[in-house]
Amino acid sequence: MRPTRLISLLVALALIVAACGGDGGDATTTTAAGGTTTTAGEGGTTTTAGGPSGDPIVVGGSLSLTGAFGATGVIHRIAGELFVERLNDAGGLLGRPVVWDVRDDESVTDNVATLYEQLISQEGVDLIIGPYATPNIQAAMPIAERHGFVLPQHTAVLAPTLNYSCQFPAWSIGYTPNEFIPHQLADAMESLDGIETVAVVTNQSGSVSFVSYGRPDVDEPAALEIFPERGFEVVADIPYPPGNTEWDAIATQIRSADPDLVMLNGLGVDANGLMEAMLALDGYLPPMMFALFPAPGPLLALAAENDYGILSVTMFEPNDTVLEGLSAEAAEIAQEFAARAADAGVPYTTFETQAAASWNAWEILIQGVEGAGSLDHQAICDYLHENGADLTFVGHVEFDPEKNNFWETNQMLKQVQDGDWVVVWPEDKAAAPLRGPSN
Amino acid sequence: MEQIQAAVSGALQGSLFALMALGLSLTWGFLRVINLAHFGIILLGAYLTIELAGPTGLGPLGSLLVTVPVLFVAGAVVHLVFDRFEVSELNSLLISYGLLIVIIQVVQNVWSADFQRLPGDINPYATQSVRIGDLIFPLPTVMAALFALVLVVAMKYFLDKTYAGRALQAFGQDREIASAFGIDHRMLGLLLAGASGATAAIAGMLFTLRGTVTPDSALEWVGLVFAIVILGGIGNVAGTLWAGLLVGAVSGLVAIVWTPATSPLVVFTLVVLALIFRPQGLFRRKAAH
Repeated sequence: MRPTRLISLLVALALIVAACGGDGGDATTTTAAGGTTTTAGEGGTTTTAGGPSGDPIVVGGSLSLTGAFGATGVIHRIAGELFVERLNDAGGLLGRPVVWDVRDDESVTDNVATLYEQLISQEGVDLIIGPYATPNIQAAMPIAERHGFVLPQHTAVLAPTLNYSCQFPAWSIGYTPNEFIPHQLADAMESLDGIETVAVVTNQSGSVSFVSYGRPDVDEPAALEIFPERGFEVVADIPYPPGNTEWDAIATQIRSADPDLVMLNGLGVDANGLMEAMLALDGYLPPMMFALFPAPGPLLALAAENDYGILSVTMFEPNDTVLEGLSAEAAEIAQEFAARAADAGVPYTTFETQAAASWNAWEILIQGVEGAGSLDHQAICDYLHENGADLTFVGHVEFDPEKNNFWETNQMLKQVQDGDWVVVWPEDKAAAPLRGPSN
Repeated sequence: MEQIQAAVSGALQGSLFALMALGLSLTWGFLRVINLAHFGIILLGAYLTIELAGPTGLGPLGSLLVTVPVLFVAGAVVHLVFDRFEVSELNSLLISYGLLIVIIQVVQNVWSADFQRLPGDINPYATQSVRIGDLIFPLPTVMAALFALVLVVAMKYFLDKTYAGRALQAFGQDREIASAFGIDHRMLGLLLAGASGATAAIAGMLFTLRGTVTPDSALEWVGLVFAIVILGGIGNVAGTLWAGLLVGAVSGLVAIVWTPATSPLVVFTLVVLALIFRPQGLFRRKAAH
C-alpha cells in the first residue's frame, strides 16, 4: 500500500470513528408518547398513538457536542431531549409532534453560521433554538435575523451586543452585566467583616473579560472601577489568555498581593487551575474567592475537599429551599435530568444554571408558538414581546426590546458549603447564610 | 523574591512540557517521524491514570505499572505502521494528525467531554509543596522535574554509550549508510518509538497530578511542546530539557513582570527568532541534519 492510500485509509478511519461518536453528527430527538424516535433530516413523519399527530414540527439548532464546549454542550442536549420528550408526552405543539434536529458545531464558531443556514434554507426547519456559548450564539444570530426566525438562546449575557429584536435570552444578568456582577459581589462582601482588598483575575475571552474591563472601546464601568467606588482596594489586576494552563505565576502574584477577595472572571476549569496552584504554595488560599462561570462539578469537588467556601453565580440550584418555592414539576425535572445525565456518563449530574438556561430557552420558544397559535415568526416574536414567558425555574419574565429583551435578572450567588453548592445571596433568596472567612 | 519564585516555578512546570516533548523530539530526530499522535498517547496516559489510580488502588504512580507497558506497545505499533508503509516525514505529520483526532474522539466517546481530575484522596500530591527557604514549589512540578531529569539522563546514556543508541544516531544521520553497515533499524525504531510511548505515559500521569484534563487538552499542549522541541534542537535529548526549563522560566517571569497574557507572545517570539537565527536549536553547536 502506498503512503497516499494509507493517508486516505486513516483519514477515512478518523471520519468513521468521529461519525460513530455517541454525541456527534446529525441528531436525533424524540417525539412522543410512544417513545418513538425520529432522526431529523430523513424526512420522516411520525405519528404516535394517543399523542400528537400529523407532520412533525422540526426545531433546528446546533450544540457544541464535541470540542472545547462539549462538556457543557452535553448538558444542553440532555435538557433539550428531556424537554421535547415531555412536550410530546403532553400533546406536542399545536397538536403536532416536535422533532429536534440538533447538529454538532464541534465548538467551532465558524461552523455555527453554516449549520443554521443549512437548517433554515436547506432542511426547511420550522423553528430554531440557539447554540450554546456566547460566540456561537453571536454567530447564529445574524442568520436568524436574515431569515426572520425567532431565536431563543441559552447563555449569551452581554446584552448590548445582542441587538436582534427577536432573540430571546434564557439567562439574563440584566442589561449591564459588567455592572451587576461586581455590584452583587460587593454587596455580599460588605455583609462580611474584614473584606477590604480585591485581586481581579481575568480570562481575556470575550465571554467574561467585560466583567473586569467593560467592553472594548466603550466607556462603561466594570469591576476594576466599581470595586474602588465601593470602597474596596484593588491590589492586583491580572489578565491571562484563554486556555491558560500555567497558574503558578498567577498564584504567586496573588499570594504576594494578599487580597481578602479574589474575583476570578474565568471560564471552565480556570478556577480549579488557580486554586490548585495556590494550594501548592504551602496551602495558601485567599480568605474569599469568587469564580465566574466555572465548571461546577470539578470546582465543587476541589473546594469541598479543601473545605473552602468558594463563590460563584447561579440562576438555579436544586436546594430544598429553592425547590420548595417552585412547582412540583421543577423537582421532577431536576431528578429526571440527573438520572439521564448519569446514564450519559456526565460526571456532574445536577440540574443547575446551564440546564435551567436550556429549559428556559425551550419554554420561551414553545410558549411563543402556543401564544401566537402558529409558526409565524413575527407573530411569535410579537407575542413574546407583549406577554413575556412563564419559566418553571425563574418565574414570569418580560422581554423589553429597549433592553434587547434581557429581563430583570434573577442571578444569585452560590457557595460551596458542606460539600454542595448552596444559594447564599441575595439574602431573601438564600438557602443558607453566606459564610465568611472565619466560617 | 516574587520574580525568582515565578521563574523557578515556571521552570519546573516547563520540565513537564519537556517530558512531553522528549518522545516527539526523539522520533522526529532519529526516525524522521513527526508524530502528532504522541499527544494522543499522552492524553491516553492521563485518562488511563485517572481510570486506574482509584479503582485499582494503585494510585497515580502505581498506575505506571500498567500505562508504561501499554503505551510502549501503542507507540511501537504506531511506528510499525509508519515504517511498514515507508511514510515520509511530511506525510507522517498529516497521518499522525489524523490519528490524534481519532484518539481524541475515542477518548471523548469513552470518558465524555467533561473535565476529569483525580480526586484529592487519590492524589494528595496536588496540593503539597516543597519549601526551600522562602521559595515554595508545588510537589507535582518537582516530581515532573525529577522524572524529566532521570529520563533525559537515561536516554542520553542510552544514545551515547550503548551500541543501539549509537546505531540509532547513525541511522538518524544517514539511513542508507547505516543500513549498509547492518544496523537493524526496524527493531531499533520500534524500541525508540516504544520508549517514546512510555515517556508519554509518564507525562500523562504527571499532568493529572497537577490539573484537570479534557479530550481537548491534547491540542492545548501542541504549541508549547513544539516550541520546546524546536528550541531544544530536534533529537537533542538534553536540549529538550533545557528548552523546557527555559520556556517555563521565561513564561513564569514574563507573567509576573508583565502579565500572564504576555507570556505566549514572548515565548513564541523566541521560537520565531530561534528558527531564523538558530534553526538547529539553542543548545546544539551545528546543524542536526
